[in-house]
Amino acid sequence: MKILIADDDPISRRLLEKTLQRAGYDVVAVQNGLAAAEHLCKQDGPRLALLDWEMPELDGPAVCREVRKKKDLGYVYMILLTSKGLKTDIVTGLGSGADDYLTKPFDSGELKARLRTGQRILHLEGRLVEARENMRFKATHDALTSLFNRGVIMELLGREISRSRRGRVPTAILLCDVDHFKAINDSHGHLIGDEVLQEAARRLLLSVRSYDYVGRYGGEEFLIILNNCDPVSAPRRAEEIRRSLSDTPVQTSIGPLSVTMSMGVHQTENWGVRSVEELLHQVDSAMYAAKAAGRNRISFTKPENSTSDTDHAVPTETEQLLR
Amino acid sequence: MNVGTSSVLNITDLLNRVDNDRELVSELFLIFKSVFPSHLQRLSDAVAKELPKQVEAESHTLKGMLLNLSAVRAAAIAAELENLGREKKIADMSEALTEFQSEVETLLLQMESVEFQT
Repeated sequence: MKILIADDDPISRRLLEKTLQRAGYDVVAVQNGLAAAEHLCKQDGPRLALLDWEMPELDGPAVCREVRKKKDLGYVYMILLTSKGLKTDIVTGLGSGADDYLTKPFDSGELKARLRTGQRILHLEGRLVEARENMRFKATHDALTSLFNRGVIMELLGREISRSRRGRVPTAILLCDVDHFKAINDSHGHLIGDEVLQEAARRLLLSVRSYDYVGRYGGEEFLIILNNCDPVSAPRRAEEIRRSLSDTPVQTSIGPLSVTMSMGVHQTENWGVRSVEELLHQVDSAMYAAKAAGRNRISFTKPENSTSDTDHAVPTETEQLLR
Repeated sequence: MNVGTSSVLNITDLLNRVDNDRELVSELFLIFKSVFPSHLQRLSDAVAKELPKQVEAESHTLKGMLLNLSAVRAAAIAAELENLGREKKIADMSEALTEFQSEVETLLLQMESVEFQT
């Protein structure tokens, strides 16, 4: 485990360094408080520290205060080293955010025991963070597909539309619906249906860029937000995504199944004053137009000045690519 | 090798604290010999110029080094100088400094006399 030693006294520093290296620690040694704070405030900096009380630039308690100010850091367990023995000094040290203190000259057995205590606290903190992250993931992701859940993808959609509206950056919204999904469930059972949805989700994720968003909108419906996607490349991107599912059968536990999806697409940088719900209604209508036109195809929403809800359904990928 | 419990340099205590690493003790002595003169110079200057805050700070640093070396008597005099600085007892500083210098001279001699078997 990485540990930081901050001490301006070269004897104390070397003594600590050797003792801790012998105990198996990966030691980073610095000679002033400023350097200590810099190391400890790095995201991948040491999480265990021995800080001398009296140091140039920043003293030990000041280093503790600096580190505790950084709320986004993982917990740093800090022990103050002091030859001050007064209770008031100890109270001051612990009040600055230190976890423990050790009086100089230290006993190596006591030092190692106190560091083990620190490691236990850090381990516990690691488990708590892991549990919190698991809960956060469960609260924001769909349990079956691990995609963003409906609440999150809707929030992201609202945020992206605002951003697009502000910066006049083109964005594309894709609503995908697995074709004949009810028939898959009815013929092969819900477990196979689940396998199909999981594989469809995986392929959708693989077919977008890291800064695009994919979420499970409903049962067999997926919502995709393509950021910075200009109207020229949007049809091509949508077609690639559609083909990611249709081109290769889905391997299920009862064998390969051919699965396709229909897609409604809205692409613009001119969002007007329409609400997210209105936009989704339009994309939904486009998706139903694709279904009505024979499924396994893409339909685009109407341009701003058109009178019908949907522009057209694209019958073949070749025709669509020619647009 | 003198491993007695000398009041000037308690080598037994020091060896205990470094897990009997004699090479490390020799290294620590070398570090002390190289950094001590400049610290002593700053302490002497602070006493001569009657700067209690500097006397307190410099004595504190020396006290820490000496405690780490198990040089208990010199560390005690450094602690006394630190207190004099904190309490601004300028009149008593010169005498304590003389005592400190004498004690450290003995300490340095004792460090020289410590020879470890390799």
